[in-house]
Amino acid sequence: MKRLLFLLMAVLTVFVLAACTAGEDAGKDPENNNNVEQPDNNNAGNDDSTDSSDGKVLYLNNGTEPKSFDPSIGFDAVSWDPLNNLMEGLTRLDKDHRAGPGVAENWDISEDGLTYTFHLREDAKWSNGDSVVAGDFEYAWKYMLDPATASPAAFLAYFIEGAEAYNSGDGSVDDVKVTAKDEKTLEVVLAQPTGFFLDVLTNPAFFPINQKVAEADPNWHTEAETFVGNGPFKLDSWKHEEEMVFVKNEHYWDAATVKLDKVHFAMINDSNTQYQMFESGDLDTASIPPELSDQLIDGDNVFIGPYGGLEFYRFNTTMEPFQNKKIRQAFAYAVNREDIAKYVVKNGVEPAFGFINPGYTSPDGKDFRDANGDLVTMDVDKAKQLLEEGMAEEGYDELPPITLSYNTSDTNKAVAEALQSMFKENLGVEVELVNQEWNVFSEAQKALELQFSRSSFINDYSDPVNFLESFITDSYMNRTGFSNAEYDELIAKGKSETDEQKRWEYLYEAERLLAEEMIAMPIRYYNTVVLEADGVEGILRHPVGYFDLKYADKK
Amino acid sequence: MLKYILKKLLIMAITLWIIITLTFVLMVSVPGSPFNSEGNSNEIVQANLEKHYNLDKPIPVQYLLYLKSIVTLEFGPSISQPNQTVNDMIGRGFPISAELGIVTVIVALISGVTLGVLAALRHNGVIDYLSMGIAVLGISVPNFILATLLIQQLAVNLEWFPVATWKSPMHMVLPVLALATGPMAIIARLTRSTMLEVLTQDYIKMARAKGLSPWKIIVKHALRNALMPVITVMGTLLAGIMTGSFVIEQIFAIPGMGKYFVESINHRDYPVIMGTTVFYSAFLIIMLFLVDIAYGLLDPRIKVMKKEGE
Repeated sequence: MKRLLFLLMAVLTVFVLAACTAGEDAGKDPENNNNVEQPDNNNAGNDDSTDSSDGKVLYLNNGTEPKSFDPSIGFDAVSWDPLNNLMEGLTRLDKDHRAGPGVAENWDISEDGLTYTFHLREDAKWSNGDSVVAGDFEYAWKYMLDPATASPAAFLAYFIEGAEAYNSGDGSVDDVKVTAKDEKTLEVVLAQPTGFFLDVLTNPAFFPINQKVAEADPNWHTEAETFVGNGPFKLDSWKHEEEMVFVKNEHYWDAATVKLDKVHFAMINDSNTQYQMFESGDLDTASIPPELSDQLIDGDNVFIGPYGGLEFYRFNTTMEPFQNKKIRQAFAYAVNREDIAKYVVKNGVEPAFGFINPGYTSPDGKDFRDANGDLVTMDVDKAKQLLEEGMAEEGYDELPPITLSYNTSDTNKAVAEALQSMFKENLGVEVELVNQEWNVFSEAQKALELQFSRSSFINDYSDPVNFLESFITDSYMNRTGFSNAEYDELIAKGKSETDEQKRWEYLYEAERLLAEEMIAMPIRYYNTVVLEADGVEGILRHPVGYFDLKYADKK
Repeated sequence: MLKYILKKLLIMAITLWIIITLTFVLMVSVPGSPFNSEGNSNEIVQANLEKHYNLDKPIPVQYLLYLKSIVTLEFGPSISQPNQTVNDMIGRGFPISAELGIVTVIVALISGVTLGVLAALRHNGVIDYLSMGIAVLGISVPNFILATLLIQQLAVNLEWFPVATWKSPMHMVLPVLALATGPMAIIARLTRSTMLEVLTQDYIKMARAKGLSPWKIIVKHALRNALMPVITVMGTLLAGIMTGSFVIEQIFAIPGMGKYFVESINHRDYPVIMGTTVFYSAFLIIMLFLVDIAYGLLDPRIKVMKKEGE
């Protein structure tokens, strides 16, 4: 026994030694210990971090490393959410989610709605002290449209005259109608009148780039040391794949409004871990892990807001039996969307009885959704009747086999299974379910190889036409085989009509036509659900667009 | 000896080339493209992107471009993270994964061998059942479950350790525990069974008969031979653990390179797929090579090199 004890002691000693050497190794990086740990420790376990010498520090989670802080390249929420706070475009979304003045103090729009003249603020400055000039916008937008840049967001700029031609390689950069008239005046000529152009400009793709900085160092946007922005915050440090720290930008024209001194972004990709860090006080906001949704969703500290987007299912009109309108309608009427939203997706989402999510206000002050009403609800009798009629029209004794496809995910699976049972119960139709990995699924959907498949749409700008345009003939986003001249015409007018009231009428009609043809079946709208710690307030979360910390505060 | 090593090196290079080629073939035959994001897009933008990343070129040309990038060790920018080159990603992620990995292997090795030796010495006793019980648990409980449990109990409830991220030695404790348990169990079982076998050998009886102290017998005579199979698994284990664990790094938000193996495939990020595969294969091949050499040094019965020389 004595020997055994000795052996144990020996092993323990080795253990401790090993742990110590490991400790020395781990602590070698001085940056780790000095900069980062300190604020973290202050914050752990007490919410009163405002007392620390750093002032007001907000701790957020960005999920992953941003794809890029090059405004032309980022094009996803993990890049553009932070970037929206480091930079500012000509216009910026205000507290009512409408495009208000940003770098542009005001603007003139010509009678024909084609020429926009922006007057930039005299005091708009870059974080290095340079003045933000009209040339910085011209440079940034032309850089985005250069085919060699390969910007995934370039298509958003096709509203500008000459942009599409240049981006496709057919036109010249000189024909892109963006011109810096003088240091503080920018003139933009559009291809056709676009009533929502000011809103499009709030998108981070249209942020300026400091021409002097970018020409001296093309990789200016990859490190904190070289990054130059013009937003409410500036990039203080950026440890790739680990964390970013923003500090208040004293050069920002509206710096007096900014209340936070620092924003700390962690990069935690695991939904349980980030929730546990929120619980232990290391994060000020967090998302709700799906397993805990029932438990947490009704709490006091939960922010639930609309998010511009739709989950829907596409019918492939080139495949039997969905070439028949009545059969498509029958499937759509057989679905109980309320149950799917409430019991399957949960997390406070709203069922979709139309294609356009609530939140777009018409020129006469009505919400698009209210004005156009419910276009598709559950009606089992009507569904059965439509199926019968449709089958008779096609001469089917028996419905061809139907396969419903979705990209692999737990929520998608739950929704697909709910649909399967609704079709069986309400229509007596057996539907087979197939799931595929996202990339495989997405290729097959584009190639029109899937009969009946899941889709989602997230708005890029705040106008109903953004979604509706997907279904014009041969659109890259169409993916249903749908082609209807009347619909194409309505969308064309819905984009370019200068009388806003009329333009909205066209869009109402287009949505009704889409529901009548039922080439896609709406399921539910997206939303934003965030847990916020006590004292966190003023974070602007727009239904369409990226979050804004300009007015945020931590008490 | 030199001839043996040279021959080995040549075989290693050929193995690597086969792996590269197979990876490339698999990569281009999987449907999908790196530009299938869920966001909106259009044809012109897609064409520009393909051109930018040379994906509009014929497959054989792409293959040659890849071979070139491998020979020059310049894997180019990642497609899903255009800010960074694959070299940046590996250069930044590998040291972190390796640090976690080395500590894990040390912990697993020491605790595994200890458990195994204790179990063998007290064969069929309480300690044997206890340590083998721990080993069975270690093998059967997946590390992500262990990790979640550790976070919940030791970090959130007891607040002994931080929940996640990678900043100080304290941050290392939980991921190392979660990651070390599985390998520890494997090592413990291996050690126990070979130890049991070795202890019945004649030379151990001989040593006992000579009156050597049991401590000396175990450490000097028994353990040295009992560890041979452990060394065999160490090569693979080291390569596997040091290049990062996707699950553990994800749960603990450790910026290692484990995630690149999985995410690059989900994103069809071709340069990263190639970079990580080549890196991992080369690492594994070298580890196995070192194990081969270590055999010769440790076990007088294996004389690979001399035989080659004869």
